This record gives sequence, C-alpha cells and structure tokens, in this order.
Amino acid sequence: MKKNLTVKKLAYLLLATLLVLTIGCSESAETLRYTSWQSSPVEQSIIRQNLESFKKDNPDVAFKYEPIPGNYPEKIQLMLGTHTAPDLFWLKSFTAPSFYHFDILKPLDDYVQRDTTFDINDFFPVFRDSYKDRGHFYGFPKDFNVYVLFYNKKMFAQAGISAAPKNWAELENAARKLTKDTNGDGKTDQYGLVIEPAIEMLMAFVYQNGGEFHDAQGNLKINDPAFTQALTFYHGLYEKKIATIPSDMGAGWNGDVIGRKNAAMAISGGWMIPYLKEAYPDIEWGVVPLPAGKKQATLAFSTGFVIPKEAKYPDQAWTMLAYLAGKKGMAEWTKSGLALPTRKSVAEANGFYKDPVYKVFMESVPFAVNFKINYMQRWYDESNAALQAIFYKGKDPILTMKELEPRVAKYRLK
Amino acid sequence: MKFKSINQEQAVWAYTFLAFPLLLISVFIFLPIVFAFGVSFFDWNLLIPDKPFVGLGNYIEIFKDDVFIKAVKNTLFYTIGVVPTQTILAMFLAFLMNQKIPGKTFFRVAIYIPAITSSVVTSIIFVWIYSKPGLLNFLLSKLGIESNIDYLTNPSTVLPAIMMLNVWSTSGYFMVSFLAGLQNIPQSLYEAAKIDGANTWQQFWKITVPMLRPVTYFVMVMSLIGCFQVFDQVFVMSSGGPDNASTTMSYFAYQNSFKYFRFGFGAASAIVLAMIIFTTTAIQKKYFPPDSY
Repeated sequence: MKKNLTVKKLAYLLLATLLVLTIGCSESAETLRYTSWQSSPVEQSIIRQNLESFKKDNPDVAFKYEPIPGNYPEKIQLMLGTHTAPDLFWLKSFTAPSFYHFDILKPLDDYVQRDTTFDINDFFPVFRDSYKDRGHFYGFPKDFNVYVLFYNKKMFAQAGISAAPKNWAELENAARKLTKDTNGDGKTDQYGLVIEPAIEMLMAFVYQNGGEFHDAQGNLKINDPAFTQALTFYHGLYEKKIATIPSDMGAGWNGDVIGRKNAAMAISGGWMIPYLKEAYPDIEWGVVPLPAGKKQATLAFSTGFVIPKEAKYPDQAWTMLAYLAGKKGMAEWTKSGLALPTRKSVAEANGFYKDPVYKVFMESVPFAVNFKINYMQRWYDESNAALQAIFYKGKDPILTMKELEPRVAKYRLK
Repeated sequence: MKFKSINQEQAVWAYTFLAFPLLLISVFIFLPIVFAFGVSFFDWNLLIPDKPFVGLGNYIEIFKDDVFIKAVKNTLFYTIGVVPTQTILAMFLAFLMNQKIPGKTFFRVAIYIPAITSSVVTSIIFVWIYSKPGLLNFLLSKLGIESNIDYLTNPSTVLPAIMMLNVWSTSGYFMVSFLAGLQNIPQSLYEAAKIDGANTWQQFWKITVPMLRPVTYFVMVMSLIGCFQVFDQVFVMSSGGPDNASTTMSYFAYQNSFKYFRFGFGAASAIVLAMIIFTTTAIQKKYFPPDSY
C-alpha cells in the first residue's frame, strides 16, 4: 500500500515538472518588442535614454527593449525563422540584400506616405537608398559610418610631411617615408600604413579606381582591370613593406596597430575614435578623407531600423521607428558623436559640419558608395578567404581573383 | 502495487527513475538527430516558408564543395595528429602520477586543471601565446631559435597550433581515466614481476599497458569522437581561417546552417560527419577490441 503511494507521488512529480517546463516556454508579451545588438555600455545608456524620451512623447505605445548581446545576425535570423522575431530591430545595410531577397521585411511605403512629418528627403540619399529594394523602402538608417584615413600627427611631423596624402601616389610616398626602424634592431617597427586583408577595405580602393564588385545586373566584375589594378596597388603596399597588417603586429585590428605606434596611418571608420581615446590617449591623431584614386570614393556603412512582415504590432513599430529615425530621436542618438546622423538637418543642428573630426566624415558622404552586394552571405567569406590566401600565403592576386569568380558566382541572388 | 517477481520490481523502479532523463535525452538529442537526418534531404532556408525536397541533392553538392573537402582533410589530419599523442601522453602521465613521488597531488591537480577550464578561456589564452609577439615566439627566441610567425594566421601552422592546445587541455582529463585503470591492476602482478626480476620499464610494458587495455579503448574512442567534432577552439581562435586552413567539419556545418542559413546543406554535412565517426568507431571496435589480452 505504501509503495503504491510513492509510485503515484513520483508520477505526479514528473507530470508537474513537465507542466512547469511547458508553461515556462510559452511567451505572453502584449507589447511591441524592440531589439538591437550591444556594443558598449555608453551606447546602451544612450539607447535607454532615447527610449525614455520616446515614452514621454508616446505614452500610449507599450514596448519592451530586448538587446542581444552576441551573434546578432544568427540570432535574428533564427527568430525570424521560428516566428518569434521582434517588431522592430536593427539591420546593417550590408547584410540586408538576403532579407530583401527572401521577402521577410515589411515595405514601409504606406507609412511614409501617411506620415507627413517623417521627411525622407532629409536623409542623405546614399544611406536612405541602401534600404530601398525594387522601388520599396524596407527600413530607414539610424546612423552611418564611412572609411576615412587616421594618421599620427607626431610621426607626420617627424617625417617632414606637412599635408595628408590626397591621392594614391602621395599615399605611397608618405607610407614609404613613414616606414622605419625606430630602435635600430634591423626590423621595421613603424610602418607607413596598416591595412586589413578584408574585402570591404579593398572595395574602397576598387571604387576609387572606378571598379565595382558586380554591375547593376549582378554580373561579377572582380576580374575587370579596374578591380585587379586596385587590388595590385593595395596588396603592393604590403608587398613593398611600407604597409603592414594587424596580425603581423600581433594585433587584433587596425586600432591596436596605430595605437601601439606600429603604423602612422590607418583606414577605419568612426568606431576608431572612442577606441583611441580610451585605450591610447597619448596618441595625437588627425583624420582626413581617404586619398583619391581616379576619383574620390569611400565605403558607406549604415545601420537601420526594419520591421518584419510578421510583426504583431507594425503600426506601433512604425511610430517608434519614426521617432528614433526622425529628427528629434536621431538628434538625441547622435549628439554625443557616438554615431553619425543620416539626416542632413540633424548633422547641421549638431554642428558636425564645423567639428574638425566629424566634418571629415560628413564631407565624405557625397562620394561614399553604398556597400551592398547582391549575393548570399557566403560571398563574403569566400572573398575574405581569397584575400587571406593573397596576404598570408603570398598567392598571386590576379590568379586568386580568377579562381574566386566561379566560387562566388554560385551565390548570386536572383 | 504487487510485483510478480523481483526482476519485474527492479525493472519498474529502474524505468521510473530513468523516465525523466530519458525524456530529456529524447527531446534534446534523439529527436534532433532524427530531425536533422530528415532535414538533410530538403533545401531548407529558415527564412522562406517553402522547403523543396531535393533528395540526395545536398549530399551531392557537399562532395562538390571544395571548402567541405578541405574541412574533411583538416578534420582527419587533426584527429590523426591528436588522438595518438593525447592517449600516449595521458597514459604516460598517469603512470608517473601513480608513482610515489613528492608533490603528487599538486601535479595531478595541475595537469587536470586545463580539463575543467572552459575551452573558450583556454582558447583565448592560447591566442595570446601563439601571437607574433607572444609567449611561444619569446621562448623560442630565448632558446636561440628566431621565429617570427603569427601561428594562427599562418595557414601552415594554424591547425597544428590548435592541435597542440587540444592535446594540452584534454590529456589531463584522460589521465584521470588511466589513473582509475591503474588502481584496478592487482598489486600482486607487480609483486610477482619483481620476484621474477622485472624492472620498472618491463613492468610498464608487460603489465601496465596490457592491463589498461579496456581503459585505452575507452580513451581512444572518446578522444576520437571529440577530435572529429572539434568546434569551439576553431570558432574562438581562427574562425576557420586563414583561407579555410582550419575549417573543420563541425565548423563547416555551423557556418552553413547558422550563417548562410542553408539548414539542409548544413545538416547533410553533419550527417556525413556522424557517418565518419560511426565507421571509425566500428573499425576500432573490430580490430582493437577492448578486452583481448
């Protein structure tokens, strides 16, 4: 009899555990969900401050902010696939083409038409149109970045260079003058320039040379002379030992190389600024637009807000988007200089055209080229593997590009 | 409840206690395996609702994918390098630790610590050791060997570097298995050997090694499976690079499933990996059985 009871008790216990498990899994959010990645505590505090202001202006929109600490693109894609995606989230314009191709984002044209205060002509076209696909707007950029040239002022003075390089020839000359062995051990420990074996950095040079990754129809152009010349020049700087790469210096990225005084110049976006200020406050740096090739060009990166097709509260999500990407929200988001505004009026109001540092970024906007490749994500890893073969294995650049073309061609988005 | 026999009673109780773990294992392991096997026959991109059946299409594509072929080669190279080194080292360490040497406990702990440390942490430590101005190059320069390479971005050193890390971090774990095996060898065998005049070296080869055979089998199987599935060190230390020189099969499966969102393709590569592991273990069981002396 007693044994009987224990068996029953055990069975109940099992059932109860199961019940708790199943209930724990279900979600009951009656509010709009907003998601972003997390890159720094400073950024987090501005996001929350921004949301507080939104709440004041729109007390009727209930929302929940759910940041994702790591592996953001993977997590977002999984959430979309399992129908648990947030109603509003951040998307880099660079990863957006697959999202348009698979048709999972909500077109925002109707909202744009209805919402008269959301002035889309105020956005810089290059960033705004990176969220436009086949005539529809799928998102709006909250901020942007472009590649610029950072340089060490002291090293320039020591080498007797008075003006920052304005074209490829000047860049090469300056890099040669700046490359030296400072402690006399026979090894170069100060290079003119630090570059990365990364496709996005190479692309800035390709665009300057009048080349492109693929044409408007999507045909690959990586074996056109305009592309290969740029690659030869870019890799040549390294081959001539007047430029270095971070791994040669035991560094994780450009910021550490210029910070540790192993290079006089570095190509980077605005994310370099807070890093240098915090980690290497002793470096006196300046910033200028990228030197021009046949023409001036740089790469444009932007991050925008998008609403998935399956959003439960699309109207509220738009209200939030319109606030955060609107003049007021963007001014608050960008005024500290953590991010650069994609609206001209906000940049002017923030005084960014007068600031000696931000001015350079704002002045790069007119010739910035949107970094948007209409291929499935694997094109990126294949291209970087090819560049790694060139830089780390010394493989011939021209031959590598010939081999790369059929490998990437498979991943074209139709 | 009345039981017909003691056996039945034991069975009922055994299953009662096993029920919950079995349920968990079924939900989180068995079902996903079956599911992944099914998925591997579909072209499934999570983001679009329709998932066309492609039959063996994914498997055919996999074997035409030269990154996958490279991943298979890398994984085999890795396993062939790591398993014997690890097993011999672990056995040797266990033999040493079983002697009456001063500070034995300290050494046991010191050797076991890497095994209980998170692999992400040890990977990051080794990223620094292997970097150009890192500890390894420094030590080599002290020995008079001038080496100026960054081990993790050099295509010819990246995989051996990760292999060394794995040998270092798991030898301690397998040493404990061998230690347990050593304790099970009857002391009388050694006494008899001593009477016969065998020295320590002969005792090791003629008694310890054969008597440890079941443990050796276990260690080999476990480390074989672990090596075939190597993922976290690659993920943290090299992301499969440079130029796919350290892309392993699990990393390839991860990349394709969660970065390129080709679930069917990723699942197919995982199934191929499972098949390879299954086959090698079966061969091992057939030709090196655990219990033949």
